[in-house]
Amino acid sequence: MPESNISIRVIRFMPNQLLRTEKLCKTFSSGGVQQHVLKNLDISLTEGDFTVIMGSSGSGKSTLLYALSGMDKPTLGEIHFEEQNISRLNNDQLAIFRRNHCGFVFQQVHLLDNMSVLDNVLASGLLVSRNKREIAAKAEQLLAKVGLEETSWRKFPSQLSGGEAQRAGIVRALINSPKIIFADEPTGALNSAASDSVLDIMTAVNRNGQSIVMVTHDMKTALRGNRVLYLRDGVICGDLQLGAFDGELHSARHEKLKAFLADMGW
Amino acid sequence: MNIVNLALANIKRGKSAAFSLFVLIFAAALLLNVGITVMFKMSTFYDDKVEELQDPHLGIMLNKANDKAAYHDYWKNNPDVKAFEMESMILMDAAKFRYGKSDMNSGAALFNSDAKRHFSSLKLIQKLAPVQPDDIYVPYSFKTSGGYKLGDPFTITFQEKSFSYRVAGFFESTMLGTPSMGMMKFLLPDAAYRELSEALGPAAEGISLSAALKDSRQSTKQLMNEFNKRSPDPSLNAIAPTFWETDIETMKSVGTMTINIVSMILVAFAGVIVLVALIVIKFRVTNSIDDGIVHIGALKAIGYTSRQILMSIVMQFMFITLCAGVIGVALSYAVIPAFGGIVSSLTGLLWIHGWDAEANVLSVLIVTILVLAVTLFSASRIRKLHPVAALRGGMMTHNFKRNPVPLEKSRGGLQFMLACKTIMMNGKQNSMIAFIIAAITFASVFSVVLYYNVASNKKAFIHLVGAETSNVMIQAKTASDGKKLIPAIERMDGVAKIAILDFITARIDGQDTYMNISDDFGKLENQTVYEGRFPKYDNEIAVSWAVSKRLGKGIGDTVKVEISQASQTYLITGLSQSISNMGKAAYLTLPGVRQILPDYEGSVINVYLKGMDTTRFIESIRAQHGQQIGNIINVDETIDSQSSIYISAVFAVMVLVLAITVLVVVMILYLVIKTMILKRRREFGILKATGYTTLQLMSQIAMSFIPIVLVGVIIGGVLGCVYTNSMLTLLLSGAGIHNVQFIVKIPLIVMLCIGLIALAYLVSMLVARRIKRISAYGMITE
Repeated sequence: MPESNISIRVIRFMPNQLLRTEKLCKTFSSGGVQQHVLKNLDISLTEGDFTVIMGSSGSGKSTLLYALSGMDKPTLGEIHFEEQNISRLNNDQLAIFRRNHCGFVFQQVHLLDNMSVLDNVLASGLLVSRNKREIAAKAEQLLAKVGLEETSWRKFPSQLSGGEAQRAGIVRALINSPKIIFADEPTGALNSAASDSVLDIMTAVNRNGQSIVMVTHDMKTALRGNRVLYLRDGVICGDLQLGAFDGELHSARHEKLKAFLADMGW
Repeated sequence: MNIVNLALANIKRGKSAAFSLFVLIFAAALLLNVGITVMFKMSTFYDDKVEELQDPHLGIMLNKANDKAAYHDYWKNNPDVKAFEMESMILMDAAKFRYGKSDMNSGAALFNSDAKRHFSSLKLIQKLAPVQPDDIYVPYSFKTSGGYKLGDPFTITFQEKSFSYRVAGFFESTMLGTPSMGMMKFLLPDAAYRELSEALGPAAEGISLSAALKDSRQSTKQLMNEFNKRSPDPSLNAIAPTFWETDIETMKSVGTMTINIVSMILVAFAGVIVLVALIVIKFRVTNSIDDGIVHIGALKAIGYTSRQILMSIVMQFMFITLCAGVIGVALSYAVIPAFGGIVSSLTGLLWIHGWDAEANVLSVLIVTILVLAVTLFSASRIRKLHPVAALRGGMMTHNFKRNPVPLEKSRGGLQFMLACKTIMMNGKQNSMIAFIIAAITFASVFSVVLYYNVASNKKAFIHLVGAETSNVMIQAKTASDGKKLIPAIERMDGVAKIAILDFITARIDGQDTYMNISDDFGKLENQTVYEGRFPKYDNEIAVSWAVSKRLGKGIGDTVKVEISQASQTYLITGLSQSISNMGKAAYLTLPGVRQILPDYEGSVINVYLKGMDTTRFIESIRAQHGQQIGNIINVDETIDSQSSIYISAVFAVMVLVLAITVLVVVMILYLVIKTMILKRRREFGILKATGYTTLQLMSQIAMSFIPIVLVGVIIGGVLGCVYTNSMLTLLLSGAGIHNVQFIVKIPLIVMLCIGLIALAYLVSMLVARRIKRISAYGMITE
């Protein structure tokens, strides 16, 4: 797909637009050398979308994800979440923004080792809700929903398999009913069966209207998204509308993505 | 890389931890060296001063009219005496002058500064030149605790006549330099001396008898006892108001007792600091092994032996210890002069401190050996660590056995519950912190109680010294005057009660003792008997704990009391405590003493006032009964001025103890929180990523330490309240104290404890602020 076709220009918020960036730049300095990782990105994400960010190593995928989520601050440009310009928030305001609107799923899961699975979820949930009984019930319901048996709820993360831990991580991300979930290679450290299980959960969540932005370098994983953004040298050079995932990894969808990635030089 | 480089690399890796450890060991070595040096030096300080100043070992002062050739002969012919000297002087049995912020009533011995003498030739520490006719030379304690400086006016009042001078110099004196013994020495230039002598007339003419022993280690007390026994008119010696005697043994015990307690507190505190440093070292070693376990595994894998790795860790701590120890000892020489100031204020003697290699080496050695032992013990697990296990991080799969404070069940806010989790998961470390905080809180409470009782509410302290806290002490001119005075005083306005309390020297079962005689001991404010009771009948006696211990006798036993050449047997009814005169005290009733001295009448009347100003009362009684009164002492003023020398010493101790407490709280929390942030960096990153603010995490950290500090402070505070008196009793037991009843002012202790908790919270929050510098993104992606 030629670069001219990329829909990256957004002028005003559309009614269902969730997140947009204007001239987003991120530069890292190391030893006096400046590295421009993200260059003037104008992106808009729509509510309910499952957006996948792909690109080669060092292209700036994770940097973009963490900038969009308010985990990191842009060097230049603006990020608007609904009506709010989050690029102007300080660290504590960003933390409050994250707890209220975002959920995170990391490759290494990053559950707290010294807490049980349930406590890991509640440590996030109780940040937003003061109703302990309600939030505990919600946590248990979600844990059951992602297929974690009750016996696992009071286990420590080190006592779980990788897939189980990642499912617990997804529950933690969902507990505060975030507007958007940011997932950084959520299946990167999992075997095939565990990956499918995690992706099935994410797909199901998305079907319920949950917006997701996911970074991946795996094509099979990317097929779960309805939109794929391709990043190269800090610039979005491809934007593919795949359409909603219907539960089947059929060849047409696969071929479309394959062709797109081939065009991108992947 | 050799072991030295490995050790240096370890230090560089944890620079700030190495620095805080350095500070703790530095403080420990500094305090230890001050304490040890002072304790070493104090054992010879008095003897060295006697030699330096050529002071006598024994001194007797009496009115010229009472002097007898036999007194001189006794000392001249005594084979133990090396030198004897008799000198004329002006003797004031009760002079009044300003000392500190109030007036002091004390005996005064005024000598001619231009006279030639063998003993105590005048050596001025500071002087004004040229000499003026109204010059006076005063003891050095007038400068250190009396508030005088060169050129200040000085007025001495005796028999209602005042004489004004200019302070022209300060001198040292081992016997007559402080208010402790009730006699102060002054020197006047020849002309001023003659003028004063003429003005006062023969009644104030005195004689000073001084003697030095051949063997300075011989008991001067024993010789003085012997003199009292053999002197031709001992009853006169015992009760004559202007007969005053002392010996260097007594002076030494009086002068050094407080200093020994202060240095014991210093050494004890140095011990606490060393203990804190050792616990921190253990903590640091364990942490550095945990943190560097992969590094250790790599070293083992490439061929380093456990011994070599162990040595590098030992060397790392030894290097810090030796540097901090040596610098601490070196800098203690800047602190010792301050301590010397305390010694000077308590003894009136100039403290000049030289290099003390023995104490220095001992201080460094003690610290080094203790650190070495703890480091070796803590690092010994390196031997058991296999390289593969170390390379895998040394972690077992399941390190956590239980999930304390489950969030869905526990009560309380989120921050509180998370803080509780942290507390429960660091049991050992928290016990260590609580223990240290408890120890330093105890020491702080101890020092505050000490200061409050010495500086603010002095009654318990004065009782400890053995003094009676009446308002006015009146000495009748004669026994018959006393008889007339008692009913007259009782009728006066503002008099709540009166009690006779005399002191004479006596021997109990051959041991020299200070006998307290009263008409009714029940009337005294200072109830020194802690077991049994004071004597009520003429065949009863109470003795001090020190006398009881020395005689091996207790309540129910009988003792033989000798005064002059008469004696009588008495039944012991009670044990008392007294710090003065090395605790050698006994108590007889007036009828009791009359069993030995049938004509004895009490001459010292203690007056207790209620709703009456002491000065006004003194004026009134002088006006009404001046003819019958030999001497009047304003006890309130005397207590104020005499305790002033202790106040500065105890204040210095309190400040030092509180400063160290603050230092320890800051250091411990700094080290522990900083290490915790480093160790839990990833965890804090995850929490930040999920939406925790910096302030929430800071509060969580502070809240996880405050309960520990609270427990430590409460334990230390309660123990301090309950055991400060027991601790003081223990410290003073050698001086004859068996039961200290210092007032423990609870609001003051509560304020101190609240202050410590507030400090801990503040420090925790400040140190936890480092978390602000760490970004969620940085921690997640590192």
